[in-house]
Order: sequence, then C-alpha cells, then structure tokens
Amino acid sequence: MTREDIVTLTNQVFEKSFEIEPKRLVPQAKIFEELGLDSLDIVDLIVALQKQFKVQIREDERVRTIRTLDDIYNFIWTLTQKTGDARDGG
Amino acid sequence: MKLRRVAITGMGCVSPFGRGVVALTEGIEAGRSAVRFMEGWNQYIGLRSLLAAPAELKDEKLIPRQNRRSMGRMSIFAVQAAMDALADSGLDAAATTSGRMGCVVGSTTGSAISISQAFETMLPDRDLTKLSSMMFFHCLSHTATMNVAQSLKLNGCVMATSAACASALQAMGTGYDIIRLGRQDFMLCGGAEELHPTVTGSFDVLFATSARYNDDPRKTPRPFDRDRDGLVCGEGSGILLLEDYEHAVKRNARIYAEVLGYHTCSSGDHVSESNRAAMVVCMREALNGAGLKPDQVDYINAHATATLQGDKEEAEAIREVFGDSVPVSSLKGYIGHTLGASAAIELAASLEGMRKDMLYPTLNLGQVSPECQGIRHVMNAPERRAARVVVKNSFAFGGISAVLVCRIP
Repeated sequence: MTREDIVTLTNQVFEKSFEIEPKRLVPQAKIFEELGLDSLDIVDLIVALQKQFKVQIREDERVRTIRTLDDIYNFIWTLTQKTGDARDGG
Repeated sequence: MKLRRVAITGMGCVSPFGRGVVALTEGIEAGRSAVRFMEGWNQYIGLRSLLAAPAELKDEKLIPRQNRRSMGRMSIFAVQAAMDALADSGLDAAATTSGRMGCVVGSTTGSAISISQAFETMLPDRDLTKLSSMMFFHCLSHTATMNVAQSLKLNGCVMATSAACASALQAMGTGYDIIRLGRQDFMLCGGAEELHPTVTGSFDVLFATSARYNDDPRKTPRPFDRDRDGLVCGEGSGILLLEDYEHAVKRNARIYAEVLGYHTCSSGDHVSESNRAAMVVCMREALNGAGLKPDQVDYINAHATATLQGDKEEAEAIREVFGDSVPVSSLKGYIGHTLGASAAIELAASLEGMRKDMLYPTLNLGQVSPECQGIRHVMNAPERRAARVVVKNSFAFGGISAVLVCRIP
C-alpha cells in the first residue's frame, strides 16, 4: 500500500462516516477543531480505520497524540509498514 | 389543587403513507393499503408472515450529523414528527428551551435494525471491538424520546413509556397528567417504531400475524372481519403537542382537541391474552375522568389489530360499555399496526377526519365476524356526520389497556 492509498482510504472514512466534504480534507486539517469530530466520534473513527486498513489501533497509545489528518496518515503508514502492508496480507 | 385543562395544538407524523397528517389522511380517504410483500424476509427461517407496511425514510440528512448519529430509523421518524408537530403548533422556538417543555415518546424497543446489526457484528465471536459507539444509543429503550429532546434542545421532563402497542397512548396520557398537574406547559407526546423481520417475528412465533395473504398483501389486516387471520406490522411515528389549554387560548393557537380523560390499567392476568374485563374498566374509568357518559361519545377509534382473540375481546368490551350506538372503526387495515406509534398516528388521523365531519371506515372489513357483532361498525364508506368526542383505545401485551378521551372544539 502506498502513502497515496492511505490518504485516499482515510479520506473515504471521513467522507462516508462523518459526511465531511472532500475539499475540507487537507492534511493540516485539525480533526476536532476544524473537522468537528468529538470524543464520541473518535470511537467510531477508530472502528472505521481498523476495518478499512485491517489494523489494530484501539489499544495503541499513539492514538491519543493524533490532532490532524496528517497525523492519521502518518500513523497508519507506520502501522502498515510495520505489518508489511496489512491490506495485502504482507 | 385545581387541575389544568389540556389542549392538542400540534400534530406531526411519519406513516406508511408518507410524512405529515395530510399524507396520512389522503391515503386513508383514497381507501389505499400501505401493506407490501417484504423482499428478503423469507431469509428468516420459519417466518410465516412476509408482509408489512413500511414508511419511507426521507430527508434525514436535514438533521445535522451530530444529532443524527445517535438515531436509528425509528428515532429519525420521531424527530421528524416532533419537529412537524412543533412547527404545526406555531409556538415560538424559545418555548423549547424554557424548561417548561418536555416530551414523552414511547416505543416497544430501541431501534430493531440497530439491535440486530449490533448482535450480527458482535457474534459469534463476542467481539466488542467492531461496535460503533453510537450503536448503543440507537438500541436504548428510550432512544426515541432522548433523540427528540436533544434535537429540539428540550430541557423539561423527558420520559419514555415502553408499553408495546400502548406506548403512544400512555405517552399522551402521561403528558396530559404532567400538564394537568402544572409541572410543564407543553409536552410533545407520542410513539415510534421501525420494521424488521424480528419485530414481525416476535408476533409470528405466537401465531398472531397474518400469514394467509402473502400473495395478496392489500387484503390484510382485516380488523373485525370474518376472514381475519392476524396483524401486519407497520412503522413510523406520531407526535402530538399537548399544551396548557389557557395558554393555547391566550396565544390564539389552533386547538385540534381538548384531552378530557385518560386511564391505563392491566388485567393482572396473562402476558399475551387480551382481556375484555380490563378493557371495560379502562374505557369506563377514562370516561369517568372525562366526566362523560357512553352516550356522549361520537366515535371510537379501536385498537383492533385483526388478531382473532384481540378483536373479539375489544368488540365485546365496546358492546358492554357502549352497546351498538357509537360508530367504531380501526385504521390498521390501511397502515398496519405501527405498534409503539399506533395510538398517536391513529388519533391524529381520527381528529383530522372528525374535523372534516368524517369517520373513517375499517378497511378490509367485508363481513363482520360473528363474535365482533353487536357494535356499530363503520365499514365500506366513511360515515359523514358531525362528531366531537372520540375515545381512542390501545391494548398491549401484559394485558395493558390504555384509553384517551378527546373532544374537538
């Protein structure tokens, strides 16, 4: 999986699950303050990302440091590189 | 303490005929049936009845996502109906956050679709990690009332009356009592329900559903009819705005009706069997509360779901209290049994019909069953006459009866 794939698939989650228009999905967008997610949404964001990328992130401490879309792209990139591209099964 | 008078000043509904009381009564007046064959329901092993009266989910995205995310299908219906009732009343928006407006909205369960999805997601591995945080809010028993309150920012009394088919009637009666006691000035009251094969299935396993008309959906349900064979589930929501009568008069509100009496009681006997004696007590107590005698009633909107036992018991109870002088009909032939929403949807339709001097006939009542005779059935065509006092019946599992008495101005 390329980093571009990660950006596309992550943005899909935001469009579909949170009804955010694509033009607002820029890397520096702040998830809480600008995209309007709150603490209840974060639970669903985690569930959706886990399903989209077939990774486990729920117990990962690094989730707490995510503030922007770019942070999510980087986090998923790190996870997928570690597991050797989880979506393709390694 | 002097009890206050209570008026109905706003009505909203989402029914199998569409959104709004006008759509509902247009469907009824055209003699249409909203009952359909449900594609895909035959995947449920053993489900005998494959019919239902679905409502259309429409314009839900007009509800902001932050509010909508906690709503299953039935809550969306409830919020739409509540918003319509409030708009219909002409009340100032500030009333919702005054602390003097609340809501009582009932349903049989939380969102049936979401409950089913939650278990399908979780089982068979009992894996909780795939569940959405919002799923819980969809499934809560008080999901409809909770979502109405948070959507409209109501900060008064917020309650849920969960009494299956009597939910909406108990909601309206509870709202009536709360305003009478002076605890609130406005109450949005009613019920909501959504379709799912498991909802029909829960009646189906008791052989209470209509299963002989799968090839001819519009011929069922058949309340009071000789060839009835059980109920057909419907879905939607009915919400009525109840208001302190004096306040309604002072602001020159349109008053659909005054609520005159309410009673609810149980047979204390059997969880599923209808009970004529309890129905009789309930109707008599509601009339006593209204200060009315049976011969002062102009129309009875029956519960009559087309179950063999239920229709028989209700007909006998009506005969005992009213004899054969008061016109009776059931609206479930048109829209099925909308369960937790039924009393509110059917009362709204009745009041609107009465406003036009029309008592709607029971659809699919071709030949009155012998055990349902001895009461004055409105059948084949509307009865056109001035009618002011209506008795609305609801009877539910648990032997629960609930009756509301209203009078239009």
